[in-house]
Amino acid sequence: MTEKLNFQLKHENCKRAVLLFHGMTGSPFEMKKIGRALFDADYDAYCYCLPGHGTSPISIKEVKWEDWYHDSEKHYLELKEKYEEVFLGGLCMGAVLALCIAMKHPEVKGILGLSTTLYLDGWTIPWYNFLMPIGLHTILRYYYSFPEREPYGLKNEALRKKIAALQKKNTVALDNYPMSCIYELLKMSGLARRHMSQVHTPVLLIHSKEDDLTSSKSADFVYKHISSEIKEYIKLENSYHLVVMDNEREFVFAKCIGFLNKLSNYNISPKTEVAV
Amino acid sequence: MIEFIKHIGTYPTSLLTVIFSNIFLIIGFSIGKFALAKWENAVKFFAVFSVIMSFLIAVYFIGIIWFLIHSLTTGNSLQGAVFLIFLFLPFIIGYFASYKKIQMYSDIQILTLVISLVVAMSFM
Repeated sequence: MTEKLNFQLKHENCKRAVLLFHGMTGSPFEMKKIGRALFDADYDAYCYCLPGHGTSPISIKEVKWEDWYHDSEKHYLELKEKYEEVFLGGLCMGAVLALCIAMKHPEVKGILGLSTTLYLDGWTIPWYNFLMPIGLHTILRYYYSFPEREPYGLKNEALRKKIAALQKKNTVALDNYPMSCIYELLKMSGLARRHMSQVHTPVLLIHSKEDDLTSSKSADFVYKHISSEIKEYIKLENSYHLVVMDNEREFVFAKCIGFLNKLSNYNISPKTEVAV
Repeated sequence: MIEFIKHIGTYPTSLLTVIFSNIFLIIGFSIGKFALAKWENAVKFFAVFSVIMSFLIAVYFIGIIWFLIHSLTTGNSLQGAVFLIFLFLPFIIGYFASYKKIQMYSDIQILTLVISLVVAMSFM
């Protein structure tokens, strides 16, 4: 089933590719629009379902963050063999994965960090969050699932209704965040925080000021601690967590393409930036 | 009944906190284990369940620390030291737990709580 969700958008003899990573409990479905935008800008775009995702809510509870990392690294290495330039892009947990890969593989050409999630401190996190450490570090993490609730990461209300309906079917994304999954994400985020200075790859960070899942503290941390000489940080005014689907998605796509074009040596019209 | 309540009232509040939270935790984990086997996807139930259980574990921990301080001040430091083991056990079990073996780890958790209850009651 997960193969159906994966996408590979390819041109003939293209020298550059972007490997996209979806977010926690999400699927490549949420990256399709940005994948299409990158493809239209002459980049090959790939997105694979992360282990445990895209199947049943149970299977996600059985995976470790190492499974996500090794699977993503494997896809990166495959693309590295085929392309001259490989960029990484990720949403939420996918952005953390992209940063982790860049720590080990400094030859990564560039990173798109969208709604990077190092801390779960957005405004929809419930008041009883202070009990989370107990839930995370005991067997309760296999019992608890944090139910996905309004606004589903979207400020756009029309889109929110559509996504909510899809999420209820558990087809393209889960309608809850299992705590075991959050536990694994936080373990990976902790590791990423400790080694953030090892990132030398150019990074574009895009984060919403009103992100409902993770505040801009995460992106601030990345921006402050990476060692990259080229780094850009854009704060969005009219979106929530799912910046690739929300109100400012076209702006996000344009900024991503503009950033990649600045780094790429294979632009058709050299070093152009897409108008917003 | 009144005599019994009066009798209970003579024991340190910290010890009573440990005992009562322990009893509720044993009942809670037994229900949770059963519910997980029967209704694995009952997200809302498990959300409420886990918040209550986390709260009870917090009370249990506070009770243990409180009892530890109480036993140190009353010169029964050995009693407190014995209880200190139970403070770390839920985290140790949680560290090794996996979803595939959650029923087994739930049994281990319940068993340690039963032992903790027996030890607590032996101090009465």
